[in-house]
Amino acid sequence: MTTYDGRASLTDLTATAERVRRSVEGVIEGKPEVVRLSLTVLLAEGHLLIEDVPGVGKTMLAKALARSVDCSVRRIQFTPDLLPSDITGVSVYDQQQAEFEFKPGAIFAQIVIGDEINRASPKTQSALLESMEERQVTVDGHSYALPGPFMVVATQNPVEMEGTYPLPEAQRDRFMARVSIGYPSPDAELRMLDVHGATSPLDDLQPVAHAHDILKLVETVREVHVSDAVRRYAVALVGATRSHPELRLGASPRATLHLVRAAKAAAALAGREFALPDDVQALAVPVLAHRLLPTAQAQLARRTSEQLVHEIVQGTPVPGSSNGSVPHVRRPYSAPRGM
Amino acid sequence: MSGRIGIALASWAATLLASASLLPLVDRSVWLVQAAILLGLTAGAGAAARRVPLARPLTAAAQLITGVLLLTLLFASEEAFLWFLPTPDAVRELGTLIGNGVGDVGRFTSPAPLTDGIALLLVGGVLLVGLLVDTFAVTYRVAAPAGLPLLALYSVAAGLSDGGAGALWFALAGAGYLVLLLAESRDRLAQWGRVFGGPSRGGFAPRESVGTPTAPTRSGRRIGAVALGLALVVPLVLPSLGAGLLGGTGPGPGGGSGGGGTISAVNPLVSLQNSLNQPENREVLKYRTNAADTDDLYLRIVSLDEFDGTSWKPASRNVSEVPERLPPPPGLAAEVPFTEVSTNISAAGWYAQDWLPMPYPATRVEVPGDWRFEPVNRTLVGDGAQNTRGVQYSVDSLLVRPGAAQLSVADSAAAAPTLPDEFSSVPDSLPAVVERTARQVTRGADNDYERAVRLQDWFAQEGGFVYDTQVRAGSGSEAIARFLRDKEGFCIHFSFAMASMARTLGMPSRVAVGFTPGTAKSSGEMSVGLRDAHAWPELFFEGIGWTRFEPTPNRGSVPEYTRPDVPDSEVDDPEQPEESVSEAPSTRPSDNPDCPRAERALGECGSEEPDAGAAAGSGGPPWGTLLGTAGALLLLAAVVLGPLIWRRRVRGLRLTPAGGGAGPRGVPPLAAWQELTDTAWDHGIPPDEALTPRRAAVRLVELADPGPEAAEAVHRLAGAVEQELYAPRPVPVAGLAEDVEHFRAALHARASRRTRLRALLLPRSAIRVTWAASDRWERLRERGRSAAGRLPRPPRLPRFRGRDAQSG
Repeated sequence: MTTYDGRASLTDLTATAERVRRSVEGVIEGKPEVVRLSLTVLLAEGHLLIEDVPGVGKTMLAKALARSVDCSVRRIQFTPDLLPSDITGVSVYDQQQAEFEFKPGAIFAQIVIGDEINRASPKTQSALLESMEERQVTVDGHSYALPGPFMVVATQNPVEMEGTYPLPEAQRDRFMARVSIGYPSPDAELRMLDVHGATSPLDDLQPVAHAHDILKLVETVREVHVSDAVRRYAVALVGATRSHPELRLGASPRATLHLVRAAKAAAALAGREFALPDDVQALAVPVLAHRLLPTAQAQLARRTSEQLVHEIVQGTPVPGSSNGSVPHVRRPYSAPRGM
Repeated sequence: MSGRIGIALASWAATLLASASLLPLVDRSVWLVQAAILLGLTAGAGAAARRVPLARPLTAAAQLITGVLLLTLLFASEEAFLWFLPTPDAVRELGTLIGNGVGDVGRFTSPAPLTDGIALLLVGGVLLVGLLVDTFAVTYRVAAPAGLPLLALYSVAAGLSDGGAGALWFALAGAGYLVLLLAESRDRLAQWGRVFGGPSRGGFAPRESVGTPTAPTRSGRRIGAVALGLALVVPLVLPSLGAGLLGGTGPGPGGGSGGGGTISAVNPLVSLQNSLNQPENREVLKYRTNAADTDDLYLRIVSLDEFDGTSWKPASRNVSEVPERLPPPPGLAAEVPFTEVSTNISAAGWYAQDWLPMPYPATRVEVPGDWRFEPVNRTLVGDGAQNTRGVQYSVDSLLVRPGAAQLSVADSAAAAPTLPDEFSSVPDSLPAVVERTARQVTRGADNDYERAVRLQDWFAQEGGFVYDTQVRAGSGSEAIARFLRDKEGFCIHFSFAMASMARTLGMPSRVAVGFTPGTAKSSGEMSVGLRDAHAWPELFFEGIGWTRFEPTPNRGSVPEYTRPDVPDSEVDDPEQPEESVSEAPSTRPSDNPDCPRAERALGECGSEEPDAGAAAGSGGPPWGTLLGTAGALLLLAAVVLGPLIWRRRVRGLRLTPAGGGAGPRGVPPLAAWQELTDTAWDHGIPPDEALTPRRAAVRLVELADPGPEAAEAVHRLAGAVEQELYAPRPVPVAGLAEDVEHFRAALHARASRRTRLRALLLPRSAIRVTWAASDRWERLRERGRSAAGRLPRPPRLPRFRGRDAQSG
């Protein structure tokens, strides 16, 4: 059911999202939480960074998500010799028309799959910055809007670092969430052998939602109510990353924005018209962890950003749940002694 | 062991080590064990309070309350409620003990007997100092100022002990303080992480063991040991005020050499009051005599004949060898009847006195040792180090029994010129009131004898004097005037006053110091104890000699010859004059006729009457006591029942529907949720403020396992909280109060009896009161700081800096 102002109802949203989810899960076995997070990012108008070792299905997930939605899809294989113009496009002089004609690059699609994004040079990686944040491309002084919905799904391999260029902080900050797929369970791996043994499941994948359906869902997500308490909670969580003694770089205000938008999408996917602190907590690690830089001491202690975000969540009081009149029973985080 | 516990142990040890310097002040050391236990319990209370955690001032208050309860348990348990909760009676008992203790401290020389009062002062003082040390070092984490109370404790010990506390006690106290500083420093250092001890001296050899002290710790110990050693050694090589620069040695007991034919000895009055106030009536002498009646067998040590306005003291006179037969007593005429008695006396082994106790007048003395005879007062004084310790001797003396008629005709004033001046001289500083009073009392008397008897009776019966050994001692003119005004004192006051008054009337007089006859034992021996120490006046009558009078009520026996109107057959009971004491218009206790003589001699009879009289004389019920008792009971009830009452009230407020009993929205979900989490907390499930309502509900159900219905109620309540807090249009949920009660009932049913009792009487969530108070206090402090910051600051004067001044 579509409302008079072009928004989909929550029932439509959950139904559509369920179709997409099942479609993707037909390809990615045993990873419902990863699929759900991908959908959340899609509905929250964000971009997804899939980071994991080779062969666990990063590209497969991106492709499955793209194919499940009937929209334009482009795949960019990032290599060291990839040029920024290969992504953004280039203006070519048309002798017949006696003017420059813009030839759109690979970014001009609704879902862009950037494979092995860290293998391109920083210069090429930076070509994504404008498109990801402002959803437009500027070439030779002309700005070209990108079609909606627009989502970049990038993959990178964190293990094999030779010949790669780590994503700059500005680039990482533009990804709404980072997800690791992880190895499948033995059962899921067995099912994968059965399904993937003869043909690629992607071949049979049919779109289950149209691009304009996704746009309506996005509009619905935007209308999800976020109470003052939840907004304060998100701010408190992000603020805690900035004062944490084991982090030399905390999360940006953009991270707060992404966190709240993702929480709204998660609430909508759950069929709720308002976001809960639970949504914020569930998304804190994927939304915040890849933006943080632990200190050298924390790295030496093998403390990961995910652990630190988890501790921050455990130590930050939820506003409103205790009338705000009681001192914290737990400390915000367990700072090392003497700090 | 965590840092705080280590510092708490160090505080405990430091306090005990410092308080060890008090050990020489009393004769027993059991109080230190009591103090150690009580101090440990108080420190434990502090550790528990810090673990809660309580605000710092509240932690100190909790320790203080614990200390008071423990002191009540130890010293006033019989008057306390449940042996440790202070009641007005217990507080009064503690106050009495403290008063007694203060009096005992002033009365006894060290080592003093460990009376209850002194024990309370010692244990309470150590407890207070320990509390201060613990508060400084552990609660506030500043160990350095904790040295101040320790120093105060040591200073008290040094001030009370003769010649200051010894080096051992100083070393102990200093070592305790250094240990405390070391513990605090180690803890402070440990907060920076693991201490790097540096490479071992042996190159790259691994460290020997984990427990090896780190380099900073070793350095700390060395510095402390060196400082302590210097503090002990340096005074020995520097000239000091007491021993080096001014020098001089004070006179000591028996320190005289007898040069010039005289012997100086310590005035026995110094110890007389001590003797009278000893809690234990130790036996000083025992003797056997052939006297039929021992009432008049006073054992005289010394005569104080010289009164210079400041004190009564024995005049310095030449002494001689003890003759085999002493010269006849001065002034005794042949017609005066007397009985010659023989007495064998044995002094206790611990009793060291320079003068030899003897009946007066002695005619022959057989005593071993180096003794000298003072002929005027007829006393024997030890030469050199000779004293009465363990001496056994025999004395022949006269029991003079003059008749009243003989005394009436004997002239006293006329004999004055024949005696040395010191027996009659009156200092110019003697207030005129003494003579005026003497003349008033003796108005109408026909002769010196009557005057003397009237003076004696005035003191003993008619003057309204009260016998009290707690009165400040003193023998000067002012002390006599004060005694005549206040009419309170003991034997030295009575005897000095009467002797002085007699001299103002021209009668030669002196004060004898010694013992009353003592108590007869079943074996026939007479036993003289410390409490038999006594002083009495002797007046000189021509033809009679030195005659004893007894102006002190309740002490000794009134001589027969001072009762001229009583037939001889009825004068047998020497206590008779004392029985009429109660007729005197005074608050002096009247004697109980059934009271044994020994107790009467100690002034212990009739001691209940003054209290009864005071209670009856106050008129009306003791409102102060009643109000105090009621207040204490209310306070106790508030302390015990306060958390329960507060919790019930809070629950009632939270579960009251908004807008009244039948409000449209029912119970506010947040209030109901708060009540639910606090109920769980009271039953041992602490709240976790980092959990969302939904997760908190899951956790509560997991931990409490309240059953499916109660679990559903909890989840329903969490959903209502989510609606209230996060939904744009909250949907009212009914029955939240019932949900809370349902959960509470389920918790209650599954909890143990102890948990239920704790949840009822000591609910954990009551700590919110202190948190709220702490928050309020912090806000007040913050407001005060900001207000102080807004005050105009005085203009800063430019400081002169050489380079700046030159350059600018």
